[in-house]
Amino acid sequence: MLLPLALLVPLGFSVSHIAQSGAADPGPLGLAAIYVVMMLAAHFVLVLAGHRGDPLLLPLVATIGGIGLVMLNRLPQGLRGTGLFGLELGMAETQLLWFGIGLAAMLVVAVGLHDDGFLRHYKYTWALGGAALLVLTFLFGVEENGARLWIAAGPVRFQPGEAIKIVLVVFIAGYLAEKRALLTGATMRIGFLKIPPVPYLLPMIAIFVMVMLIVVVMRDLGTALLFLGIFLTMLFVATGRRSYVLLGILLFVAGSSVAYNLFDHVRIRVNNWIDPFADVSDAGYQTVQALYAFGRGGLFGEGLGQGLPTIAGRLPIPALETDFIFAAVAEELGLIGAFAVLALALALVFRGLRVAMLARDDFSAMLAVGLTTSLGLQTLIIVAGNVKLIPLTGITFPFVSYGGSSLLASFVVVGLLLSISHRSSVAGPDEARAP
Amino acid sequence: MTGEILRVLLLVLQLGFVALLYLILLGFARSLLRDLRSAEQAQLASQAGLGRLAVLESPEDVPPQGRTISLGPINSIGRNVNNTIFVEDDFVSANHAMLTFRGRSWFVEDQGSTNGTYVNGHRIDRPVALSYGDELTIGRVRMRLER
Repeated sequence: MLLPLALLVPLGFSVSHIAQSGAADPGPLGLAAIYVVMMLAAHFVLVLAGHRGDPLLLPLVATIGGIGLVMLNRLPQGLRGTGLFGLELGMAETQLLWFGIGLAAMLVVAVGLHDDGFLRHYKYTWALGGAALLVLTFLFGVEENGARLWIAAGPVRFQPGEAIKIVLVVFIAGYLAEKRALLTGATMRIGFLKIPPVPYLLPMIAIFVMVMLIVVVMRDLGTALLFLGIFLTMLFVATGRRSYVLLGILLFVAGSSVAYNLFDHVRIRVNNWIDPFADVSDAGYQTVQALYAFGRGGLFGEGLGQGLPTIAGRLPIPALETDFIFAAVAEELGLIGAFAVLALALALVFRGLRVAMLARDDFSAMLAVGLTTSLGLQTLIIVAGNVKLIPLTGITFPFVSYGGSSLLASFVVVGLLLSISHRSSVAGPDEARAP
Repeated sequence: MTGEILRVLLLVLQLGFVALLYLILLGFARSLLRDLRSAEQAQLASQAGLGRLAVLESPEDVPPQGRTISLGPINSIGRNVNNTIFVEDDFVSANHAMLTFRGRSWFVEDQGSTNGTYVNGHRIDRPVALSYGDELTIGRVRMRLER
């Protein structure tokens, strides 16, 4: 499955180069070549290590990431970039560097993680670490576009939300795997709702409070929605109770309306969603331009490299390379191209859930469900925000958007999925632990 | 003129990109489907039951005559209540016979019973493969293996 990719990415690079330069010249293909070689190398490392994890995960990720890299390479390179040891890297180059780091992290997790004991046994420690990161963000966070997502440590900036996401999934998986019987068995009745006894419910409430804190601390509705969605999905998978999900949704609606009344930035987002044309030149500008981009793209798209005329030297959509990368894909590749990207993401989710179904134990299964949900829901939230189905919230499109933290976290997620599926396909638990 | 050619070339390449993307997608869809189908078959084999035993004759009515017993992969038959198939009959030993599904077919093996195990009327002295429709006699109880 990786071989057609070796053609796809260089083709995308040269098509956009031809379209932009107007000369019949494939243009520089170095980055595309490095990308393909990196993916093939990662694949061969897995094969040589005798890894028996899901064979489709990496090719799917490589294809989705390849489309993202083609788009990022095609945008003006000065948009983002890093200076590293006197070496100036453009946007696509920086992204490629993060692809390399992410793939390495994925391989370490997939091949090196023989035993998930340290994840399972220290779940409260992990949760504490996540909470500490949250506190750090609150104290030292850098605010950007009304959301406090970044921690700057010297020259390196990272988004703690991405790390918190994984830690949260690990904690919930550990907790649910351990207390599953208690949560499904014993019940207390409050009115028509059957709920488990309060002591077992407390950590769950703690998680919910943490999610709400994210809204306050990070001022980020998207991350909060993502975390809540992951939490409810895992709770539902573990217990099979609809009442929990219903309760969670009711709490979310209540929480959202509180947030709407309390915070300006939330109100602006919602008002933009209801009517972006009310303030076309300022608040609604981004959303309106994105809608125009989808309109220009139509069914077959403007053609790779031919969309997005700059307005007064600037790109029409702010945050195009991160939050609105899907709008860029839809404009240049049209509905069919956007559909293909979504189908690939869907296939990734499908494989992730398959890993969960085949998992050897409850913890692994819950972990796989949570991680897969995080990838799928993140895609869903940002795409729905792009097309104005829900209020826009700034989160990344996994493997497509520009951004190091997101890319690294997504690769760690895939590494964990690979590790889980490897352990479930290797015969017994004892053999898996043998040195 | 060269502009025209370039535009056509560009269009062809752009279409090629989307076509290639869909080709890759098709490849993924095919392997997903293949995986689903094999999973389905594996499930059919494991779930649709490996087989059942129809009780044709049971003088003490334990198991009840006319009842069908669904079988797991390993079934022990005997007068001891710990057997998966408990048979109340004076001519049946405590641990009388084993009925197991191995690979693709059923086998029956006598467990050193006093009165023996009969397949289609013949006493067995080693593990014997059973076909669906074969009659199994244990003591005075007659049963037939069904799908």
